Amino acid sequence: MIESLIVSNILLWVAVMALLVAVIALSRQIGILYERIAPMGALMMDTGPKVGEAAPVLDLLSLDGQQISIGAPNQHSTLLFFLSPTCPVCKKLLPILRSVQTTEASWVKLIFASDGEQPEHEAFRRRAMLTDYPYLLSTELGMQWRISKLPYAVLIDERGVVRSKGLVNSREQIESLFTSHDLGVASVQDYIEQTVQARAALSKEST
Amino acid sequence: MNGLFLVDPVMGHAAAASVAVLFLLAALSKLRDIELFHAVLDNYQLLPSALVPVAARVLPTLEFAAGVLLLPLVSRPSGAVLALALLVLVSGAVAVNLRRGRSRIVCGCGDDALPLSAGLLWRNSVVSMVIVVASQSHNFRPTVWLDLLSTLMATLFLLGLYQAANLWLSHQSRFIDLRNAP
Repeated sequence: MIESLIVSNILLWVAVMALLVAVIALSRQIGILYERIAPMGALMMDTGPKVGEAAPVLDLLSLDGQQISIGAPNQHSTLLFFLSPTCPVCKKLLPILRSVQTTEASWVKLIFASDGEQPEHEAFRRRAMLTDYPYLLSTELGMQWRISKLPYAVLIDERGVVRSKGLVNSREQIESLFTSHDLGVASVQDYIEQTVQARAALSKEST
Repeated sequence: MNGLFLVDPVMGHAAAASVAVLFLLAALSKLRDIELFHAVLDNYQLLPSALVPVAARVLPTLEFAAGVLLLPLVSRPSGAVLALALLVLVSGAVAVNLRRGRSRIVCGCGDDALPLSAGLLWRNSVVSMVIVVASQSHNFRPTVWLDLLSTLMATLFLLGLYQAANLWLSHQSRFIDLRNAP
């Protein structure tokens, strides 16, 4: 009697664990479905202006009342950083961006962009010590670049061509924007693809 | 039998172990990236900005201590009190921000970026009930190997359930957006 209870107990535990694994797996799949069917989901991530193409030109007024032209030819490259006052990762990256702006000041100009209520953003700008940089509030700009996740960065060169863009979560990713600019590739994936193709061409030549 | 079920050693050990693992993992993920947790706390807009850097270090440390104290039987009651106090504190912070209508900020509960929601408060109240069970364990019967297996399985089960609940909570806001979409 006791033995059969033990066997049934173990069997039931195995069954419960299997069901739990199934529930977690299904929940994850539901998450992916939400991402794909949401109006601004992951599928939209790669739309918007492409790397290597001309950036759409948009004239905007910064919070200081300064006239800023995004995408127009300029003497500097532009690093457009999309953020929001309630995004913790954005705040974590601000000191890194400031240091990038100091070291790369010769060729790149940092511009912050967001959308929402002006008083909230002005308070955030003062608190985060961003008053030295232009700060744009524009829903149109976010729509144009199809920004669905933050923090998002776009590097536009002095001719108004998109050099690199993407979701940035760490110092490495910000630095990779500049590296891809220096190497002339859009992303790590592109770089790998190029290297693989180059290797394939080499091996073809040698055979 | 019925009344003693909740204070059975297996229940106590499983509850304590699962809450301890929960707290330890949450504390470690915060301590690994204090700058990020600093920004998360700042978002709650409850503390004066001078206190935020201090709290960003103290809170995860206390969380870690609660996790460690919950494991041995001797320190379990004090660990349970600390864990419960922390849980009430953070749930209060979430409730205040929900009342302010700031539900789009992330909770900073661990590795997953969950938005604030009433569901989060429900989840925390279930966790606090598990903590109460953990603090009530008595050693009134000898344990055998099968109890060890039951404890291990129940701990894994509770942790898995918590993981699943977090997934549902992270989907909830998207689900509501989608349901209200034209």
